[in-house]
Amino acid sequence: MAKEQTLEQTFEKLEDVVAKLEQEEISLEESFKLYKEGMKLIKSCNDRIDKVEKEVLKLNENGELDEF
Amino acid sequence: MRQNVYTVAQINSYIKNMFTQDYMLRFVMVKGEISNCKYHSSGHIYFTLKDAKGVIACVMFAGNRTGLSFRLEEGQMVVVGGTIDVYERDGKYQLYAKQITLDGAGVLYEKFDRMKRKLEEMGMFAPEYKQPIPKYVRTLGVVTAPTGAAVRDIINIATRRNPYIQIIVYPAIVQGDQAVASIVNGIRALERLGVDVMIVGRGGGSIEDLWAFNEEAVAQAVFDCSIPIISAVGHETDTTITDFVADLRAPTPSAAAELAVYDFAVLLERIAAFGNALNHAMLAQLKKQKNRLEGQRLRLKYLSPVSQIQQKRMYCMDLEGRLTSQMKTALTQQRHRMGLYAEKLKGLSPLEKLHQGYAYIEDIHHRVVNDVRKVKPEDRVEIYVKNGIIQAKVEEAREETYGEGADIRADI
Repeated sequence: MAKEQTLEQTFEKLEDVVAKLEQEEISLEESFKLYKEGMKLIKSCNDRIDKVEKEVLKLNENGELDEF
Repeated sequence: MRQNVYTVAQINSYIKNMFTQDYMLRFVMVKGEISNCKYHSSGHIYFTLKDAKGVIACVMFAGNRTGLSFRLEEGQMVVVGGTIDVYERDGKYQLYAKQITLDGAGVLYEKFDRMKRKLEEMGMFAPEYKQPIPKYVRTLGVVTAPTGAAVRDIINIATRRNPYIQIIVYPAIVQGDQAVASIVNGIRALERLGVDVMIVGRGGGSIEDLWAFNEEAVAQAVFDCSIPIISAVGHETDTTITDFVADLRAPTPSAAAELAVYDFAVLLERIAAFGNALNHAMLAQLKKQKNRLEGQRLRLKYLSPVSQIQQKRMYCMDLEGRLTSQMKTALTQQRHRMGLYAEKLKGLSPLEKLHQGYAYIEDIHHRVVNDVRKVKPEDRVEIYVKNGIIQAKVEEAREETYGEGADIRADI
C-alpha cells in the first residue's frame, strides 16, 4: 500500500479539486466526480484526526514510558 | 657562629605556618590555563594551572566539586578560587580549589567561534541538510530538563494548540559535565521511539549554563538525527551551535512549541473551509448547468414545429383580422356613398312627382304616354296618381307648347 498521505498533501489535493470545480468549462459528470472526491478527502481529513486527549509521557532510563 | 639546624619537618611546618597566617592566601583567585588534569577515582581532581611565566599545582577535593559546573579539560582558561597552602609531606605549596569557572566570556566566545567555523566548514549548517518541519504532527519529543519553565511552557503551549498531541519528554541534564551525554542520549532515544518532531533545548542561563548546546557531540547528534529537530535554547538573544545545526531554530521554548504543533482549531476551520468551497463550487456548477439547460430548452422550444405552427396561426389570425377590418371600412364607405345617392335619387323619384300633383300615363300596352301624338281619341289610358290608378278614355289630343318642351294634356 502506498504511504499514507499527510494532511498537508490531502489539503493540496483538496485545493486542486476545488480549483478544478471552480473552472467554468467542466461537464456535469466531471463536477460530480470532483465533488465526490473532495468530500471523500474531507472525510479522510476528519478521520485522520485522532481526538483522544493524551497524557504527557516521560521516557525513563530503561526506554520505557511513564506518565510525566 | 653556629647556625641553627632544623629538620625538614620543622622547616616545612614553619613555612606552612607562614602561609596559614597570611590573610591574602586564605582565599585567592588565580587565573591560568589548565594542564595535567587528572580526575582521580576518589573524586578529587588534580591539575596544574599555568601561564607563560610559571605553573602552580592545584587540587580540588571531591567535597568541593559543587564549585565546578563543567568538565575540566586541557587548555581551558579558568579562574580558580581557593586557599594556598603547603603540603608538608612533599614540601610543596599548592592551590586548594573551592570553585573553578571558565575565564570570562571572551574565551568561551573564542571557543564558540572556533567550533562554529569548524562545523560550518564540515557543512553541518548547510540548508540542504535541513529537514522540513512536518506541519501536522501527532507525537512531539522534547529533550530538556524535566523541571523548570522550559518544559512547562512547551507542554502548556503544545497542548493548548492541540489537546490531542502526544508529548514524550526525555528528562535531560542540560548543564554541568553530564549534560552533553544526557542530551545526546535523549535525542537518540526519542529518535528510536519515532516521534514526528523533536524540540531540543532549555531555558535561559549564562553562557556557561548553555554551554552543552555548543559542544560538538550535541551538534553531531542533532545533525545525525533523522527526525526534524527544532532547537530552543535560552532566550531570543542566545545563539548556540545547536541552533545552527538544528532543522529550525526557535527563539524560545514557547516559540518552539508553537512551531512544532499545529493549532487544532485552525485545522478544523481549514477543513470546514474546504467543505464550504466544495459545496459552493458544486452549487455554482449545478446552477450554471441548469442555466445552460434552460437556455437550450428555450432555444429548442423556439425552433420546434409546434412553435412554427403557432407562429403561422398567429400570422394567419392577424391577417384575417386585418382583412375583416379593411372589409368593414370599405363597406361602411360604400354604404355611405349609397346613402348619398339614395338622397339624390329620392329627389328624382317619379313617385315624388306624383305627390306634387303630377301624373303618369300609360297606354293599354303599358307604354308611357309622354307625347300627345302617342294617343288618339277613344284610346284607353291609365293615369297613375299618388294614391291610385285612374282608368280613362282620351277625348281629344292636341299639340301645345309650354315654353320649354311639350307635355300631354288629357281631358278625362
